[in-house]
Amino acid sequence: MDGASGTSGGPSRRRFLEAAAAAGIIGVAGCNTPGSDGTATETSTATPAAESSEQIGSGRSPFGDRTVSGVSMSEMPDLSGELTLYSGRGEALVGELISYIEDLYPDLTVRPLYNNAAELVSQLETEGQNSPGDVFYSVNAGALGALENRGRTQSLPQDVLEFVPQNFRADSGAWIGTSGRARSVPYNTDVLSASDVPADIMSFPDESAFEDGFGWAPTYSSFQAFITAMRLLEGESATREWLTGMQELGASQYGDEFQVARAVADGEISAGLTNHYYIQRVLARRGLSAPVRTAFTQNDAGAIFNVAGACVLDTAADTTLAANFVRHLLSAEAQDYFARTTFEYPLVPAVEPIGRLPTIDELNPPEEIDLSQLSDLEATIDILRETGVL
Amino acid sequence: MATEHQRTADGDTDDDASPPLGVSIAAAAVAAGVLLPVLWLFRTGLSVGLTESLALLTRPTTLQVFVNSAVLVVLSTAACVLIGVPLAYLTVRTDIPFRRFWTVMVSLPLVIPSYVGAFAFVSAFGPQGGFQRLLAPLGVAKIPEIYGLQGSVLILTLYTYPYVYITARASLKSMDTTLIDAARTLEHDRWETFRRVTLPQIRPAVAAGALLSGLYVLADFGTPSIMRYDVFTRVIFVEFGSFGRDTAILLSLQLVAVTVFILWLEARVRGEERTTAGGRSRATVSLGRWRYLAMGFAALIAGLALVVPVAILLSWVGTGSASVNQSLAFQWSYVSNSVLVAAAAAAVAVVAGLPVAYLSARYDGILPATFERISYVGYAVPGVVLGLALVYFGSQYATPIYQTLYLLVFAYVIRFLPQSVGSLRASFLSVDPSLPEAARTLGQTSAGAFRHVTLPLVAPGLFGGAALVFLTTMKELPATLLLRPSGFTTLVTHIWTAYESGYFGQAAIPALVLLFVSGLSMLVILRQEGYDVK
Repeated sequence: MDGASGTSGGPSRRRFLEAAAAAGIIGVAGCNTPGSDGTATETSTATPAAESSEQIGSGRSPFGDRTVSGVSMSEMPDLSGELTLYSGRGEALVGELISYIEDLYPDLTVRPLYNNAAELVSQLETEGQNSPGDVFYSVNAGALGALENRGRTQSLPQDVLEFVPQNFRADSGAWIGTSGRARSVPYNTDVLSASDVPADIMSFPDESAFEDGFGWAPTYSSFQAFITAMRLLEGESATREWLTGMQELGASQYGDEFQVARAVADGEISAGLTNHYYIQRVLARRGLSAPVRTAFTQNDAGAIFNVAGACVLDTAADTTLAANFVRHLLSAEAQDYFARTTFEYPLVPAVEPIGRLPTIDELNPPEEIDLSQLSDLEATIDILRETGVL
Repeated sequence: MATEHQRTADGDTDDDASPPLGVSIAAAAVAAGVLLPVLWLFRTGLSVGLTESLALLTRPTTLQVFVNSAVLVVLSTAACVLIGVPLAYLTVRTDIPFRRFWTVMVSLPLVIPSYVGAFAFVSAFGPQGGFQRLLAPLGVAKIPEIYGLQGSVLILTLYTYPYVYITARASLKSMDTTLIDAARTLEHDRWETFRRVTLPQIRPAVAAGALLSGLYVLADFGTPSIMRYDVFTRVIFVEFGSFGRDTAILLSLQLVAVTVFILWLEARVRGEERTTAGGRSRATVSLGRWRYLAMGFAALIAGLALVVPVAILLSWVGTGSASVNQSLAFQWSYVSNSVLVAAAAAAVAVVAGLPVAYLSARYDGILPATFERISYVGYAVPGVVLGLALVYFGSQYATPIYQTLYLLVFAYVIRFLPQSVGSLRASFLSVDPSLPEAARTLGQTSAGAFRHVTLPLVAPGLFGGAALVFLTTMKELPATLLLRPSGFTTLVTHIWTAYESGYFGQAAIPALVLLFVSGLSMLVILRQEGYDVK
């Protein structure tokens, strides 16, 4: 666990910090170069230790630095007025970005309410038409789809939707993905090699290398979305068999997927199922010497690619302001911010991911799955319960 | 002089058979305030439909989950009594060294959110945890499993025994020690005296505290989830997580039903209650050489509950990532925000609890008992469910106070009212009714008799109740997240923000501040009650 890296992992952490500092110096030089499409992003002369808000748009990262392209916020319509943002994404992850946008415009006041995404959906559902909410910002497509199904969204303007490829937004235009997360398999490099991890998720229950050394987090929304995908792709009985098989393999339950990733790095388990960025977070903290790396399955439920995203609520007081706020989440600065601080995949094609990761194009998510289908959790929960996983 | 009134089913507690109208109206208003938001739960839960409801209730896992919850509640509550009562006795009736220090220390675990405690224990004592690593060179390959029932009981006991401790303590403080002297003159030994004199007198208070602990355990989500133990609340949260709000609410009505059963059971077990003269505590029991053992016991409990999470959090302070987010920078306003809402909630909960507790302690009959039992309903549902009920209430009928501190404090009061009612009621029971009666014969009005005679006598219970509400509000999270005004950050929402994003190191500072501020506030509260330790 991370506690351990404070005691036994001391030297490796120091090495990592040194590497990050060195990379920071390169970063300052890199930032003075305009983006490849000619739109200059912000330049930063901040020292590596400076507050990270000064780094927004700077391209600096714990894994080395780069230049940032895309449409800058300065080219976007000004924001003014008051905006109530229901954010299912944590303040620690996006608070800085939101304050940054708020500080850009003197006439803009953002009232963020942070909570877990599913609870915010319940809150919006309970508030009904009396909701003060303007924009909902979610950790996954499921919560956005749930709001759309309840008729609580408004269509985004076409020029906002066009920022991201079609598969990362609702066909109806009700919501748009702002950053991406791939399902992945963290494995401990002391125990397994990349080739030991099957490329087919459905064969995991037969993999003796995982016996009594596999971790998952069944209460976590991304895991449930993954099982939903499996149900849609392979059918209910195959999904049941898979779940039963994994239980027979002795899969242990964790409270969330960050715990799974850390447990893999600790050697508590040899592999598990997590979103890709949890592995990058462990690496960013413990250094690249931590014995955990990422494997991806191919063209199956284990390879689905989900998005965090935003929608304009039906109760929005100023629809234009709300839509333009969502537009700012697709700016070059914001996209780089996601890649850099949360290790997610930027969805605007001009911005590359950061970390030990393949590019979006190198991933092979199943083509038959539409993200909005993943909000259909009811049957999934039933199966998880019947098999005793939940 | 010690008098003793037996309270029987016929009821001869008070010569005035019917309770005063004003107090009854006040108690009824408080009960209505608790019930209104809860009624929405019934409406929403029952909208799910009969077929689905039946399917949910008859699921094969339902029985297992029910048994798991019951086992967890029974074991944890028993453990809370076994820890809370001896600690209360030691810190009130004996010459344990540094009495006030220990009083504060053993109360403090109440402010540690149980999920933080659970997480810390898993990190320390889990497989591959810090403790295991420490022992590995000594050849210890495996330490007892922390996950599952045993871990859940351990954590929930460590963080809920203060309910028993604080209520038992208040009761011991207002107990008449002349009875003990009398028993000792009758050649009872110390244990015999405790069993035959002290225990019956503090029984209502211990029952009230145990009830608070048990219901807390029943409605807690964080601990069983981290400890991987399958209980009611986990099922409810799974449903919330999959956007099944109505089903989740239906399931929490099951919790309400279980709570009603527990309340009924507790009322039966509570049985005959005695009212006795109070306020004459002077003698302390000299422990002799045993005082160090007593101190060791207090230190062990407080140490486990406080030091483990603090140490684990501190060990993470240095491990934050290089680019720690500025949103996680600690601000002193979090402290004032926390103290402000907790103090307001404590004050309102005590004022609202007074009529309810007074009526139910002094008068028999359906209504006083009903009002008292109703005050527990808000406590029985998980915080997120009650929070949603108030989201509905606030956004539909009270828009001006929605997402303001007024509604937030109202939510705290509804959630934690039983803590003040339980503590107050136990104290009212320990006041000899003949004392205010004597004041009336001396020309006092009934209000005057209450103010000058009864109120000073129940002061320990009043401040005990205030302390409970204060400390629990300091750590309340789910309702706070749903109802706080935008930008209103308390110590606990800040801890949650850091914890949820995996910045555990950043959770350490606010957690330490939470402990420190709560400890300081406890000292202030203890001073108010007229703490009599030299």
